Amino acid sequence: MVKGKSLRIGAGIFVTIVILLIGLMSSFDVTALSKAPDDPQQIMFRPDIITFDNMEAFGKLEKTKAIFLHDQHTDALEKKDKDCMVCHKTENGRMSQKFMRLKDISREELTKIYCDNCTKCHNEMIAAGEQAGPVKCDECHMERPFIQSSRVPMGFDKSLHFRHYRAQENKCGRCHHEYDEKGQKLFYAEGKEGTCRYCHKEKPQSDDTAKVISMRFASHLACIDCHQQTLAKHMDAGPLRCAGCHDAQEQLKIEKVKNVPRLKRGQPDNVIIKTGDPKGRIARMDQVPFGHKNHEEYTDTCRVCHLASLESCANCHPLAGSNKATKNGTGISLETAFHKHGHPSSCTGCHESKQEDKNCAGCHAFMAQNRQKDSAACLRCHMVPLPERTGELSTSNAAKMARLMPQLWRETFGPIYKVDVPKTVVISDLVDKYEAAEYPHGKVFDAMVTKLEGSKLARYFHYEDTTLCLGCHHNTPAAGKPPRCANCHDKPFNENYLFRPGIMASFHQQCIGCHQKMGVEKYIGCTSCHKEREKES
Amino acid sequence: MSISRRKFLGWVGAAGLSTTIGKSAAAATNKQFTGYPKSFAILHDITLCVGCRSCEAACNTVNELPQPEKPFTDLSVLETKRRTTTTAFTVVNKYDNSKGDQRPVFYKKQCNHCLEPACASACFVRAFTKTPTGAVTYDSSVCVGCRYCMIACPFEIPTYEYDQALTPRIRKCTMCHPRVVEGLLPGCVEACPMEALSFGKREDMIKIARERFRKYPDRYVEHIYGEYEMGGTSWLYISGTPFKELGMREDLGVTPAPQLTGGALSSVPIIAGLWPALLVGIYAVSKRKEKIAQSEKEQVLASVKERPDKSEIEEES
Repeated sequence: MVKGKSLRIGAGIFVTIVILLIGLMSSFDVTALSKAPDDPQQIMFRPDIITFDNMEAFGKLEKTKAIFLHDQHTDALEKKDKDCMVCHKTENGRMSQKFMRLKDISREELTKIYCDNCTKCHNEMIAAGEQAGPVKCDECHMERPFIQSSRVPMGFDKSLHFRHYRAQENKCGRCHHEYDEKGQKLFYAEGKEGTCRYCHKEKPQSDDTAKVISMRFASHLACIDCHQQTLAKHMDAGPLRCAGCHDAQEQLKIEKVKNVPRLKRGQPDNVIIKTGDPKGRIARMDQVPFGHKNHEEYTDTCRVCHLASLESCANCHPLAGSNKATKNGTGISLETAFHKHGHPSSCTGCHESKQEDKNCAGCHAFMAQNRQKDSAACLRCHMVPLPERTGELSTSNAAKMARLMPQLWRETFGPIYKVDVPKTVVISDLVDKYEAAEYPHGKVFDAMVTKLEGSKLARYFHYEDTTLCLGCHHNTPAAGKPPRCANCHDKPFNENYLFRPGIMASFHQQCIGCHQKMGVEKYIGCTSCHKEREKES
Repeated sequence: MSISRRKFLGWVGAAGLSTTIGKSAAAATNKQFTGYPKSFAILHDITLCVGCRSCEAACNTVNELPQPEKPFTDLSVLETKRRTTTTAFTVVNKYDNSKGDQRPVFYKKQCNHCLEPACASACFVRAFTKTPTGAVTYDSSVCVGCRYCMIACPFEIPTYEYDQALTPRIRKCTMCHPRVVEGLLPGCVEACPMEALSFGKREDMIKIARERFRKYPDRYVEHIYGEYEMGGTSWLYISGTPFKELGMREDLGVTPAPQLTGGALSSVPIIAGLWPALLVGIYAVSKRKEKIAQSEKEQVLASVKERPDKSEIEEES
């Protein structure tokens, strides 16, 4: 009896251990499966991946999306002396971008088109003893694809636009079009050209009258079609393979034209940015003369500033903010559109981003980001008409004012930085472990002036000859002799001035910080500024 | 003495009851310790540290520690990741920077002086004290060398003098408690040329950190490490690089260590104190019963002298 009991207990323990072991092992298996894709080195990156997602229109997918390498197929066909028509049908002389069909009809039909045609061709090649693509379901519909997309977006910059413009013999209408609702066709409207993306959005847009195809669809339709036709005429043409446009390395090979002539779209050289809105409401700020032509040089496409259309800013951005979204401006007021910090399209945002430049960061990195500028700074753009010109520069005579602007700017541009600054400053407040530091004040000032004079933008905004001094001598009046650093920076961690560094840190933060930001690596170690002091015996 | 079934069940029931009493007593507390008011803290702004090791040198001097093999001016030490030791209460480590100008970042490591220290709660001789200045101090005179504190510390800071055969101590940063009491700055803070270490009231340090986030939003990860980690610490950190990349644990949660173990541990004295009393009580009661039964038996026996067979009555009947 006792023996039987102990046997049963022994068996029980054994079974428990076995179950536990199996449980443990299976949990290890699960963790192995749920691991991220294998060794990253085994993952292949290609720019030509097309993921078949057409079926999504018909509901939930039964399998994972199939992955298709377009360039590989183009190359394979080329070797066999076959063309695109093996896979693509044509309609009205234009090649459909869809595979072996013109329209997506039903789920069953789509499945049949893909599965049958793909495997048919692959099987034929296998039969002929050639290397071919997959014929099994999960080889296309991969659970964990080992190929990932390295596709980079493509767009026209000024140089590429100019090369197309030249190749098309200045005929803008070959690409730019508008849609005629009545005639239901595309036509060219001269002087109304804009970037493709103004109408062709990421997803197809449709309203009662017209359907606007997606940017992806539109660009492949127009670009590839034209490239093919041009090639057929044995002329130089743009890429046909995916990589030609969408591979980062290939993009670098695209020829850049230096000195691209200015775009011709009837844009003004100088404009007066009105501070009222079209309804006649007036803001109480002076108008802003804006050098449109100059700013064109700093940008690569119009879209940098003209986000949604080439019309004037006030057409979309109302003078007063609004609860309702307007056509394109989504209710963003004119003030925000021009002054929003950190936005590449706003005046302030773009100008501030230039402060991150190595030449500027030495001073500007210390200033609070996105800070409200003092009200005097408003007047750099919102110009008060000079008193002697009030007549000439009346707001009603905008065109005349625009003509006068370059002259006006010249008067305000670039003060001559002739400040009497000390050549050397000996910093001896902290002599202890180290000797006093000899600071080449004059040399640093001259270097900064040189950097500043290299930039038009900097010259314009550092309008007083002492503005530059404020980089180090902050929180003091711009004019006259600034107080000594130690006048404000005293002992560290002063509870009355929580945010003010102590004297030692103020020097180190300022000097080392500026050197780091401006890439002056030479003077970062301790003894490069002050010699170690010999210990007194 | 043979234990009867009834007695055994009685003991078990009493023991079970005593544990439930212990638990409910712990759950009844609603106290939350958020640190001593006006206690001090140090804010380490990792973006400002230049990796000069002045803090390490100062720490060495202030704590009268032995000189290391390589001098503090030798920055090649930074190339390997180091941890705190019995002779180095603080170490600066160098890390790659994934953000901004890719300049390497330096992170100074030492005891974080938790508001509710795990080391102190694990120590059964109370060798650790959270002082009102913010420092967690250690008293070697009571230490028994169990090293529970080393296991308890989530930051792996306390170190043990294994090489001292007779008087081994736990060594760690003291937040320069003796100096702070005298009104001096902690050695490392005083030595930092960049004010990458700021010293002051904990509330003020948090204010400074928030002000820097406001002023330079692009420069920082908007999180004060140590404000709430493990219930809050007296060393606070702000950084431009994600803390995880600096080897700082982000899985600690905001519950102070003592609170995690407090519930279970608080029942220990009750169980340890009540169990013996309870068991002895039950034993005494049953003993008394036995005694009474015995005397009754004797009485019965005395009354029926002539019939000895009847004395074999089963106790349990």
